[in-house]
Amino acid sequence: MFESIESVQRRLGEQGYICGKNIATVVYLAYRLEKPVLVEGPAGVGKTELAKVVAEATGRPLIRLQCYEGLDEAKALYEWEYSKQLLYTQILKEKFSEVMAGAKTLREAADRIGAEDSIFFSDRFIVPRPLLRAITSPSPALLLVDEVDKSDPEFEAFLLEVLSDFQVTVPEVGTFSAKVRPLVFLTSNDAREMTDALKRRCLHLYIDFPTEAEEIRILDVKVPGIDRRLAEDLVGVMQRLRKLDLKKAPSISETLDWARALLALNATQIDEELVRETLNVILKYEGDIRKAHSELGRLIVRKAEPPKPAAPEGKPAAPAAAQPAGPATPEPPKKGTLH
Amino acid sequence: MQKKILEFTNLLRKSGVRVSVAEAIDAFKALDVLSLDERAVFRDALRSSMVKRSDDIQTYDQLFDLFWSGFYDNLRDAFENMAGDLEAQGIDLDQLMRMLQEQLEKLEPGSLDLSELARALLTADLSQLEQLIREAGEQAGVSRIENLLQIGFFSRRMMERMNAEGAAQELRDLAERLRAQGLSDDQVEAIRGLADRLLEALRRSIRSFTERELQKQNYDYMERFRRETLTEKSFYHLTEDEIRQMREVVTRLAQRIKSVLSIRRRRLKKGKLDLHTTLRRNMARGGVPFEVAFKHRKKDRPKLVILCDVSSSVANVSRFMLQFVYSLQEAFTKIRSFVFVSELGEVTQVFRDHDISEAIEKALDGGDVINVYTRSNFGQAFHCFWQNHLSAVDKRTTVLVLGDARNNYNDPRAWCLREVKNKAKNLVWLNPESPGAWGFGDSVMDKYLPSCDVAEECRNLRQLSKVVDRLVL
Repeated sequence: MFESIESVQRRLGEQGYICGKNIATVVYLAYRLEKPVLVEGPAGVGKTELAKVVAEATGRPLIRLQCYEGLDEAKALYEWEYSKQLLYTQILKEKFSEVMAGAKTLREAADRIGAEDSIFFSDRFIVPRPLLRAITSPSPALLLVDEVDKSDPEFEAFLLEVLSDFQVTVPEVGTFSAKVRPLVFLTSNDAREMTDALKRRCLHLYIDFPTEAEEIRILDVKVPGIDRRLAEDLVGVMQRLRKLDLKKAPSISETLDWARALLALNATQIDEELVRETLNVILKYEGDIRKAHSELGRLIVRKAEPPKPAAPEGKPAAPAAAQPAGPATPEPPKKGTLH
Repeated sequence: MQKKILEFTNLLRKSGVRVSVAEAIDAFKALDVLSLDERAVFRDALRSSMVKRSDDIQTYDQLFDLFWSGFYDNLRDAFENMAGDLEAQGIDLDQLMRMLQEQLEKLEPGSLDLSELARALLTADLSQLEQLIREAGEQAGVSRIENLLQIGFFSRRMMERMNAEGAAQELRDLAERLRAQGLSDDQVEAIRGLADRLLEALRRSIRSFTERELQKQNYDYMERFRRETLTEKSFYHLTEDEIRQMREVVTRLAQRIKSVLSIRRRRLKKGKLDLHTTLRRNMARGGVPFEVAFKHRKKDRPKLVILCDVSSSVANVSRFMLQFVYSLQEAFTKIRSFVFVSELGEVTQVFRDHDISEAIEKALDGGDVINVYTRSNFGQAFHCFWQNHLSAVDKRTTVLVLGDARNNYNDPRAWCLREVKNKAKNLVWLNPESPGAWGFGDSVMDKYLPSCDVAEECRNLRQLSKVVDRLVL
């Protein structure tokens, strides 16, 4: 499926996921070595997205397990379907009497029932939960264990068996082993350090905020129709924002939201007022917003305008001309342009 | 290659990165399925299979650069420098080399019997040289280097192992033989000069090789030294930069308290049978209780009340303590923070509304919350707390006092603290002074001691984290 690191990069790119070589390398390794990947990094840099896109690119079904505090094996591994068992006993009541007909002693009756009891504890009555489903899936699947750091330490222990041997043990039935090993992605926001035992079984991938060039490319792909210059300015602001000491630095998802918001507002260039009005799209804490406001002047650094000697007094006439004709009146060019 | 990777693994371990055997094997497996012509791929492959903690990534990257690269560059620099020197003297190295090659070809084949090193030097074959230097380094046991003073020793030893002098002599002899072939004196002189310079370049490269080795071996030492000194350093003497680093550590500490507490909460989860929920849940099975539900015991969410002394005598400490308080407040919901000098003021809301540095400025800056330019008076502060805020304390509350108990000979009013203690679950006092000084001079710590469940010296990060452990467990 994936022949090389480049092919990973290309195929994820086809799905609209722009990634650097480091990400592609780890994905390729995971694919070739059949090892789980533990993906860490700040919120919103596309950890979950990566798993989805890999599933998409490899044509595997995505089986997702969302972790939360209190998640237990009944919800993650398997569960006995009690009501179905109950129903079956009701329906099969007559059959039971048939089986037991002729039994002379109590012991004999019990033995006969005992010989049949395996039908009640068989696959028939097991509800497979995501982990078991990923293991028993006849075609190779992709298992996404999302936000594994939110789960309890005990839950990690369940995961270990799955991750290292790709098998699940159900005491009453036996061990299910994977016919085809699923590709496993675990994501973590670092709310809690995962145990070494878990980490040892995984490849580790740390996704950081993208570089400026990468982020511009992501914008190009994800927000079609965005003006190149607007994208560059916007990404510039984001990159500088991340350098501020914020409670929650804005990540890629915020960049995309913001770009879409600006498009909806028919903005063609970034100026102080526009940023001030739309800052709440990218920053989610009151304190952060206030801090960004006070730094606004420094956030918006115009790249040197392409030299236009004809334009007097450096009026930014160019962007206004570049704007697609539409009902929205272009903003007056003198307003809020920073140099 | 295998050997080098194992060596690198060892180096990582030495530097405090945990790499298990299984992980090292994974690294080999990973390299098997990759083509290694790209450095970045190689680095990422090793990293993803061996380094699993994001904290270690920085260490890894630095070690990787030290280990896997650079020396070749050093070598090239040394030889380029040499070429530059020669050029300054009006000698073109390329031309000289070419002339030399021509002359060598004229020699009868087989009569030229040069050592490997001499040959590598003559042809300026840098990769061959690198190989030779590495081998010599291994023979000389350069990886045992421990300090700066040994650089000379190991460099000399490597020179000996390589027989560098011998190679230089060979080159000089060669020059003589070429003279016999009819080379002019100038040319012979140039070749002899070249031999000296080659030797010098080699010596320099070897020296830089040992220096790099020292850096590698000492990376961990220097790092650990830096970190340890930070945790040991008294809060009284912190620089701006250190305070910033401290902040990260403190935040992590507060985070740890929180995670420990949440685990504790979960252990207490199973309580009495919850009949209502059990019936509801099992209605689908005709009321047969297949799944039982339990009443959750009330969550034991600890309450915290913090009284922090911010007088000038503990200026640096209190700044730091306030950071700690701030981080705690982010981790807990039921927490109230107060600061005092002689009067007492609540800063819970201030901390909640502002970000950390602003909040601390506000708490410390005179006038906003309390007047900080008076002389500290613990008695009055405690009295004020007892009078106005005693309702904040109940049976589940831990009261945390941070201060040096230097009371300026005011009335300690120890009974106020005792009253508070009687109402609280426990009372913890963290004092930046060592126990030896308690009760001497204007310190009234001895008066307060009977009212404290725990009283600890807390002057640096290590002590603080120890106290934190006791606090939560």
